[in-house]
Amino acid sequence: MDNFNPQPFDKDLSAALSSGREISVPGFADRVIVAVRLERRRQTVIRWSSLVTAAAACVVTVLTLQSPSEESLNRQTVALVAREESSPLADLLGIADDLSLLTPVVDKKSSIVDVLATPGS
Amino acid sequence: MSQPDPILSDDEDDKRLMALVAEGDDDALRMIVHRHHARLVGYMRGEVGSQATAEELAMEVFIRLHRAASRWRPDAKLSTYLIHIAHNLVLNEWRRRGRKPTTALEFAAEPGDQRHDSARRVTELDEAFQRAIAQLPTEQRTAILLVVQQELPYEDIAGIMGVPVSTVKTWIHRARSRLRELLKDFYGPA
Repeated sequence: MDNFNPQPFDKDLSAALSSGREISVPGFADRVIVAVRLERRRQTVIRWSSLVTAAAACVVTVLTLQSPSEESLNRQTVALVAREESSPLADLLGIADDLSLLTPVVDKKSSIVDVLATPGS
Repeated sequence: MSQPDPILSDDEDDKRLMALVAEGDDDALRMIVHRHHARLVGYMRGEVGSQATAEELAMEVFIRLHRAASRWRPDAKLSTYLIHIAHNLVLNEWRRRGRKPTTALEFAAEPGDQRHDSARRVTELDEAFQRAIAQLPTEQRTAILLVVQQELPYEDIAGIMGVPVSTVKTWIHRARSRLRELLKDFYGPA
């Protein structure tokens, strides 16, 4: 160490600090290896989970893109509602063929009307 | 294949081992840890005072080294690189705690710390030095630990602490003056 002039104070300082320069810890290397292996395993799990998350995100995106748009859904909803609203009227009036009963008589060809309408009859 | 090569110096062997660590060789990492951990724990202990925290932080240093193994470039000695990581972790530790270890109690030997006690044979003067060093501002303490305890050159310390060499010299000068002042009972006024 050539940074200091060796004076009593510096010698004592150096002695005081150098005594704690190296503190060997038995089994320390094994503990480090265990910690490193744990971290390696954790990294593998993180890598896989992020892969799975990305794949799930892709599936959701594809499903979203394939589903009908909001506008289309609105149209379908309106149509459904309209159908729902018209069904009670249809029930009231009966089947579509029955509508002919409500047709005004005057619009129908009738032999009586024809007779009455014929001038001079 | 991570047996130490008797022909290579420690620095050269560190480079060889780091290349193996980058390939996932745990035995190579084990050898690096075995070679460097005592010095790293010693430095950490000097910085944070607590043996348990020092070991915890030293372990984190090696985990980070392993993580960065594939990106590591042998521009500097591995021992200096390790101290660099350690210094950053110490700074984080102080930020996390929101305070510095300025109490002598924190730097006193911990119960059951046989290793520390028996190895150091703490004398009154040694203890006085430890207490005085604990009272130094963080950057002065780090600088004095790196130059006196770890025997690093000023240039390496400047690189580790991210300051010019002149700043390192100033910190060390101030640290020595402060220590002389704190230890005037032993050495008389500075």
